[in-house]
Amino acid sequence: MNRSFFEALRSIYPDDRLLTRDVELLPYESDALTAFQTKPGAVALPIDEEEIIDTVRLCHRMKVPFVARGSGTSLSGGSLPIADGLMIGLNRLNRIKKIDPEQRIAVVEPGVINLHITEAVRQYGLYYAPDPSSQSICTIGGNIAFNSGGAHCLKYGMTSNHVLGMKVVLADGVVTQFGSESIEGVGIGPDLVGLFVGSEGLFGIALEITLRLMPTPQLYRTVMAAYDNLGRAGDAVSMVVASGLLPGAMEIMDRLAIKAAEASVGAGYPLDAEALLIVELEGEALQVEAEFAELRGVIEESGAFEIREAKDEDERARIWQGRKSAFSAVGRLSPDYIVQDGVVPRSRLGEALVKIGELKAQYQLDVANVFHAGDGNLHPLILYNGREPGALEKAEALAGEILAMCVDLGGSITGEHGVGMEKREYLPTMFSPVEMEIMRDLRRAIDPEEIANRGKMFPSGEAPALQMRGMHPLERQGVISRE
Amino acid sequence: MRHQIKSDDLRAPEMAEAIEKCVHCGFCLAACPTYKLLGEEMDSPRGRIYLMKGVLEDRIEADEAQPFIDRCLGCMACVPACPSGVAYGDLLVSYRTLQEQSRQRPLMDGVARRLIIETLPYPRRFRLAMKSGKIGRMLQPFLPEAFASMLNMLPDKLPPPSPLPPILPAQGERRGKVALLSGCVQQALAPQINLAAARVLSANGVEVHIPAGQSCCGSILLHIGAESEARQIARRNFPLMPDDIDAIITTAAGCGSGMKDYELLFKGQTDLHKASDFSSKVKDFSAYLAGLGLREPRGFAAERAVAYQDACHLLHAQGLQSEPRSLLNQVPNLRLVDIPDAGICCGSAGTYNLDQPAIAEELGGQKAGAILAAGPDTVVSGNIGCITQIRKHLDLQGKNLPVMHIAELLWAAYQS
Amino acid sequence: MTGDVLDSVAELQAFVKGHRRIHVVGKRSKTALHQVEADVALADLSGMTGITEYQPQEYTLTVLAGTGLSEIQAALHEEGQYLPFDPLLPDHGSIGGAVACNLSGSRRHRYGGIRDFILGASVVDGLGRTFRVGGKVVKNAAGFDLSKFLVGSLGQYAIMTELTFKVFPDAPVFQGLRLQYESLDDALNAVFRCNRSTQELDLLDFAPWERGWSLMAGLAGFQDTLPQRAKQFVAMMREETALLDATEVEGDGSLRDPLAGLTGDFLVKVVISPRQIAGFDARVRDIGRRYSAGGNSAWLATDDIGALKKILEAEQLPGLVLRGSVDCPLIGKSPENLLAARVKQVLDPHNKLV
Ligand SMILES: Cc1cc2nc3c(=O)[nH]c(=O)nc-3n(C[C@H](O)[C@H](O)[C@H](O)COP(=O)(O)OP(=O)(O)OC[C@H]3O[C@@H](n4cnc5c(N)ncnc54)[C@H](O)[C@@H]3O)c2cc1C
Ligand code: SF4
Ligand code: SF4
Repeated sequence: MNRSFFEALRSIYPDDRLLTRDVELLPYESDALTAFQTKPGAVALPIDEEEIIDTVRLCHRMKVPFVARGSGTSLSGGSLPIADGLMIGLNRLNRIKKIDPEQRIAVVEPGVINLHITEAVRQYGLYYAPDPSSQSICTIGGNIAFNSGGAHCLKYGMTSNHVLGMKVVLADGVVTQFGSESIEGVGIGPDLVGLFVGSEGLFGIALEITLRLMPTPQLYRTVMAAYDNLGRAGDAVSMVVASGLLPGAMEIMDRLAIKAAEASVGAGYPLDAEALLIVELEGEALQVEAEFAELRGVIEESGAFEIREAKDEDERARIWQGRKSAFSAVGRLSPDYIVQDGVVPRSRLGEALVKIGELKAQYQLDVANVFHAGDGNLHPLILYNGREPGALEKAEALAGEILAMCVDLGGSITGEHGVGMEKREYLPTMFSPVEMEIMRDLRRAIDPEEIANRGKMFPSGEAPALQMRGMHPLERQGVISRE
Repeated sequence: MRHQIKSDDLRAPEMAEAIEKCVHCGFCLAACPTYKLLGEEMDSPRGRIYLMKGVLEDRIEADEAQPFIDRCLGCMACVPACPSGVAYGDLLVSYRTLQEQSRQRPLMDGVARRLIIETLPYPRRFRLAMKSGKIGRMLQPFLPEAFASMLNMLPDKLPPPSPLPPILPAQGERRGKVALLSGCVQQALAPQINLAAARVLSANGVEVHIPAGQSCCGSILLHIGAESEARQIARRNFPLMPDDIDAIITTAAGCGSGMKDYELLFKGQTDLHKASDFSSKVKDFSAYLAGLGLREPRGFAAERAVAYQDACHLLHAQGLQSEPRSLLNQVPNLRLVDIPDAGICCGSAGTYNLDQPAIAEELGGQKAGAILAAGPDTVVSGNIGCITQIRKHLDLQGKNLPVMHIAELLWAAYQS
Repeated sequence: MTGDVLDSVAELQAFVKGHRRIHVVGKRSKTALHQVEADVALADLSGMTGITEYQPQEYTLTVLAGTGLSEIQAALHEEGQYLPFDPLLPDHGSIGGAVACNLSGSRRHRYGGIRDFILGASVVDGLGRTFRVGGKVVKNAAGFDLSKFLVGSLGQYAIMTELTFKVFPDAPVFQGLRLQYESLDDALNAVFRCNRSTQELDLLDFAPWERGWSLMAGLAGFQDTLPQRAKQFVAMMREETALLDATEVEGDGSLRDPLAGLTGDFLVKVVISPRQIAGFDARVRDIGRRYSAGGNSAWLATDDIGALKKILEAEQLPGLVLRGSVDCPLIGKSPENLLAARVKQVLDPHNKLV
């Protein structure tokens, strides 16, 4: 970054909102994937959209790369700065500009924290549905970049399904607006909202976002069933689906995961089970009660040797606490492990589990399985002992094979954390050369200088792909779970 | 986070452990008042940890990082918010102490600091200094802002010294025996608090000993990183406490959490066992009383709407949230009202008013607004700093509500 | 107007490469969209039909773009499932057409529109390249999501040959209700009341009716609870809105079909938000109309398209003409064209697809 760029920046920002000293830049050098660190050339802290627009235009004119940053909680290195590039911190644009409960919409700035929206609209019996585990701190701008989701996304979708309209500044400084306050969003003409959401910050910066709000469910009903083999639990999921019910959440854990979870929080899981299935219904009270009666029937027929229903909110919380601490508990079984996040078609879960079983034997490593049976999102936890020479490499190789398997089975290399820095080398395993070329061309058509979030998502020869090593400590605490 | 911290300091292992545990997830940001106010990574817990790491790894100069560390309220809101169990408080105290040893403060700042060290912990000196107004006059030209804020904090006139009785007998069936700490500034500024606390305890069947000759517990000095001074005066209290007591009661939140950290302060000292013995007995007034079970007071003739403002050092550092509220809820004719965002620091935070007046002002103003929104007729808290800060900011907003210590309100409930 | 019937992707690729300007037609249910100039070659996909992959268990369905909506719905129905976005014109249209025009019916109110249920697609672009966008699984966070972009794209960026959707189980029973209000204001207030309740409605449309307004609501669920839920709903509306009368509707045909009773040479879809309706409606009193999905879209039928065009321009609302002869089917506020143009540049740089 040269002097004239700094001078131009200074004409946009007062001194206290343009960070240039080492001591101020250092804390920005990583997001939640600390394996990567790069000190940015400078950090700008805009407080309104005009400043953002001016900044992006300046970057475009002077060909300086920039990275937008919300709260820096990306787990894939998405908000890792660019050396000699500008970091644009959006956390001060945190105003909820409008709430219209009767239209069930809210208009927000990009730095608004996900949970703050629900807190602001709760009084109207509404909530903002996408619920990543990081919702107490991650921003809507970051959610948009990764199309973030959470536990309850099968029924109502991820971030993309809840954005109706947005105003953005594209990487070349062009400001544009699409979508509307209508539930139809764009409605007429190509759905640009759908294109922008999930673009990992490569297209530009979202300036103002119109969100859809949902009515808070009247009732939740949760049941837990134990099986003497994994296949049976899988079959039970098929039976639930075949019965025509649409649960809000369906989760399976295998024996190792159950054992660990039980040891950690004492959720009351049956220890002799090979597999545990949790199914939750949500919605209008009368309907949910009726559906639950049906669900009970299905589960009773499914060959479970033990069935337990949550009788109140406390019991429901306990069941979920167990599920959410499953990873943590696995930490009790092994000093180190790798968490993987891949997707397979739900009907091929069985196949995937068999394959993981084979890999496990082949590599002589233990693998615990926790997965969202509802959407085929797998979380194999590969256990190893980091002090044994070569163990980590072996575990990483196994993790890589699991990702490859997900692609082979027609699934995906990431369910929700995005590609970022972490998985960029894997992107071509999912897309054909033509598809890769088209995505690259699209990026260049929007950002000819490739200044927006340069180096992310697309593979590059410079840095090797990196695995997240071991479970996230928050997972270990049972506070978060990867949905 | 991985780190490259050399372990040549006694404190390094603790600091390294806290840093290692931090995974840079940012969950703590949502809880931090300075992050909320300033919106910069350096003014967040995650950022401060990263900066301390940077200093310890010799990547940046300590002086450069210091302003951001100084802006930390020490309110500990980030501690319960952290799912990874990072002991931010230990890290901060260790770090401050380490830096203090090698730090060159700007001249006037150093003078003010000396002043704090020399006067605040000693009730008599503090009284004298304030009475003469000499210090204020002497330093005002150099430190207008910091002192304006300190002088603002003071009542117009200090109350007359009111010596506490050495022993208050238990009334009715004896249910316990405790010692009451009557340390530093609080005793000079508001002697009625400890008196009320002693009376409430006695009314609850507790025999209260108030050993003479007590000094400050050292917490306030620890807070600004004056470790050896803190140790020196802390020691003076050890031999004063009777042996057969159930608890050492404090009515000052910051002192309570500071004394709980004596193990860290006395690490490597020969009298470590005495310190930890002492520290294990320390209990906040409300925690002890709630544990004992309140004898129902008479209550109030007319309904009182009371707002309880959490002191950071009770809520975040000691996890006391339901205890004081349950005490208040047992008072007939007392209606508890909720302050929105009660867990956010009021900006008093020990000597923070003195060190960071601008942020303290802002937080104080916000807090007063939040309290008023709850619509109470009385405000209580468990800490003198918070009480003074809240009173000041309510006054600034033209609202003259009574603001008192929870012990005072309880005593009033027994009397009426 | 005839076109080449193309039965395979390879044929389509060759066709694209061999022509300068191309327009895609499916079942031609939306006549207004096919008014093209003489030099434009028509690529007829009505031969590309059939369900490629349907896994009820998976909640996913993959079909060729020319497949008729009624065929798809029949296949889903057999498994007790449905397309929750409730495609419009089921008897006549193809699925590709429904996606290209983004036409959802009234039941989209419950779970969302096409954009919420499309997972992926195979396409042939303006350069004759074939490739996939999106995925085939319900969850995927890798790569740019061009599949959503295709929704509403009117075939002008790439030609869809195959589409993958998320599907849901359908409720066993549906109960329609017709609620009478004296004025639009009352009907709108009733819609707002519904939006503030936790009652989950399958459909919520309103239209002029005799001398007042009629609110068409639908609940879906189980036989045993539906009557009680309907009763609760009506009771709430009676208590809290200016309800004149409520009747249960047998069968669901007219209630669920937003186009029922709309006559006129031109049929237009308008994207609108509930708060814009009062102002807009004052200007279209003489036109047959129905507001759908809680007042988030409007269907209008008129003989005077010129007048409607002016109104939409004045109100800054986007409209799409589906039936009737027009130069350009897009009227009123034009769609965004700054970002879309970049995509066009990549997928169809020679402007072949019109
Ligand atoms: C403990 C923990 C748990 C998590 N759990 C989940 C989970 O359950 N589900 C899930 O999906 N994710 C989860 N995540 C990942 C992360 O929280 C999400 O990806 C989140 O959306 C990131 O938000 P952020 O504000 O921190 O964004 P940042 O990390 O600051 O940025 C992320 C990306 O967004 C871009 N960006 C930011 N603002 C904008 C903008 N206005 N316009 C365009 N691009 C922008 C950045 O350039 C960057 O590429 C978790 C993370 C952690 C640390
Ligand atoms: S919450 Fe804990 S682990 Fe996360 S950044 Fe803050 S201190 Fe570090
Ligand atoms: S102690 Fe308080 S001010 Fe300091 S970092 Fe933690 S939350 Fe922020």
